[in-house]
Amino acid sequence: MAVDTVTLALVTVIYLAAVIGLGYLGYRRTKEQEDFLVAGRKIHPLVLALSYGATFISTSAIIGFGGISAQLGMGLVWLTVLCIAVGVFIAFVIYGRKTREIGQRTGAVTFPDLMGRIYDSRFMRYACAIVIIGGMPLYTAAILIGGARFIESTLAVPYDMALLGFAVIVACYVILGGLIAVMYTDALQGGIMFIGMTILLLLTYIYLGGVVEAHTALEGLASMVPAGLAAAGHNGWTAMPDLFSSIWLVMITTLVLGVGIGVLAQPQLAVRFMTVRDNRALNRAVLVGGIFVLMMTGVAFTVGPLTNVWFVETTGMIAVEAAGGNVDSVIPLYINSAMPDAFIIIFMLALLAAAMSTLSSLYHTMGSAIGYDMVGTYLNATPSMRTIQAGTIGMIIISAVIAYILPGSIIARATAMFMGLCAAAYLPAFTHGLYSKRPSAFAAKVSLITGAGMWFLWTAFVHLKESAPLGISKLLFGTDALLGMPWQVVDPLVIALPLSALALGGALIYERTTADIRSTEDVRD
Amino acid sequence: MLGISDPQIWIGYGLALGWTVACIVYGILMWNREGADENGS
Repeated sequence: MAVDTVTLALVTVIYLAAVIGLGYLGYRRTKEQEDFLVAGRKIHPLVLALSYGATFISTSAIIGFGGISAQLGMGLVWLTVLCIAVGVFIAFVIYGRKTREIGQRTGAVTFPDLMGRIYDSRFMRYACAIVIIGGMPLYTAAILIGGARFIESTLAVPYDMALLGFAVIVACYVILGGLIAVMYTDALQGGIMFIGMTILLLLTYIYLGGVVEAHTALEGLASMVPAGLAAAGHNGWTAMPDLFSSIWLVMITTLVLGVGIGVLAQPQLAVRFMTVRDNRALNRAVLVGGIFVLMMTGVAFTVGPLTNVWFVETTGMIAVEAAGGNVDSVIPLYINSAMPDAFIIIFMLALLAAAMSTLSSLYHTMGSAIGYDMVGTYLNATPSMRTIQAGTIGMIIISAVIAYILPGSIIARATAMFMGLCAAAYLPAFTHGLYSKRPSAFAAKVSLITGAGMWFLWTAFVHLKESAPLGISKLLFGTDALLGMPWQVVDPLVIALPLSALALGGALIYERTTADIRSTEDVRD
Repeated sequence: MLGISDPQIWIGYGLALGWTVACIVYGILMWNREGADENGS
């Protein structure tokens, strides 16, 4: 660590004081259940855009995916394209408007609640809540681990204490201030992230002699691509990998499609569309959201590959090699080695902000899923705010326990897994529910079960990166993956999502056909 | 283009910037528009 720890600790304390202040403001403004769950439906567009972006972009997107781009190259810019086109434009314009309008019309206050009301189905509400409660703690634990590791390395706090402190500080303002506190703090954190990433891009190009010079130098390093990566399709850091090579499949199916499409059906993001008063707020948020996501992902996926130039010029080694083979260490090592002390502090705050903003949103979504949706559906009544807060506390404890148990290497994997699961389980049913004049609960159930089930089967028995550590396939069939290449590097989302959509279509045709037959028979009778 | 010879990469950058511009333009043009559904049309 190049920066004086006392200075960094002081700045961190000031930042935390600001976060706690905004959390307190959220607490003061949280009077009733609707305030806690959907921020009273009166959030400012700028706060919405920054909160959405800061929740979407976690530390793993900057550090993890930035490090992966240092290894695989600028091809990840296609993830930036999808993040802006799908994650912002389509999400707000196509999904956001309908979600907000239906949410306001039906009084829905959570994602499972929205699905339950659209389909008039307790099953859909239960099932959506169960996917959140079952899948989100792993993702939350991964964010907790990332944040705690960051605090441990930068502030020299023991890991266990860092994990506990991180979990408790975020928990305090989520439990007391609900979504208002979460979104206010998100906006501050998003602002810090934006400043940090902008300076990172500018300084990188200045250090490398300009835009064209930096890219030309990176292109000249193509001969330094490790032999193993070159054999797997890597063509240098300014070129796409060979079409359908194993690197191409990982880059496109897991990283670009997995995250780029997965973002559409994230419950913690979808609920944000219901926090604004009208569609004007959503329109205005598109403007800010597009710029914000470009600066987060675009900068990470550009600076990541360019670190190779800096490391080769200063150490003679490519970035991953200089980082000891650990892609997650590339960006922090580059920041600490290349950047001035003042920027290191800003960037470290940006990373802490990225972790906290995502974590607070996940806490809130899990808490409302169990405290509001599960309890509410079970009791067939509206739970009190204390019940929702108690549910939030329970899910925070479960996530913290999982974080203590899990290995640190799970961070990026858990992020992609959760996004894939959400898209496969929810996306076709969510789309159908928003846009169909006669949404079919039967078709939605078939789609959700098919999507979630297929995602699990492919994860447990085919996709090697998950099936090997899970060990279910090995236990039952004596092999880590039931299918060979290239299937074992194809992301579960790419298989499960189309099947989920097909299942929805098939169920709709079946239902409408049998209804027609029944009505014909009724006429005959 | 800009030191990058693979068109698949600079097309990607072009699209990323293009979509960002689309978001900005949409936000400005729709700044005060509520939308068809809300008007009941």
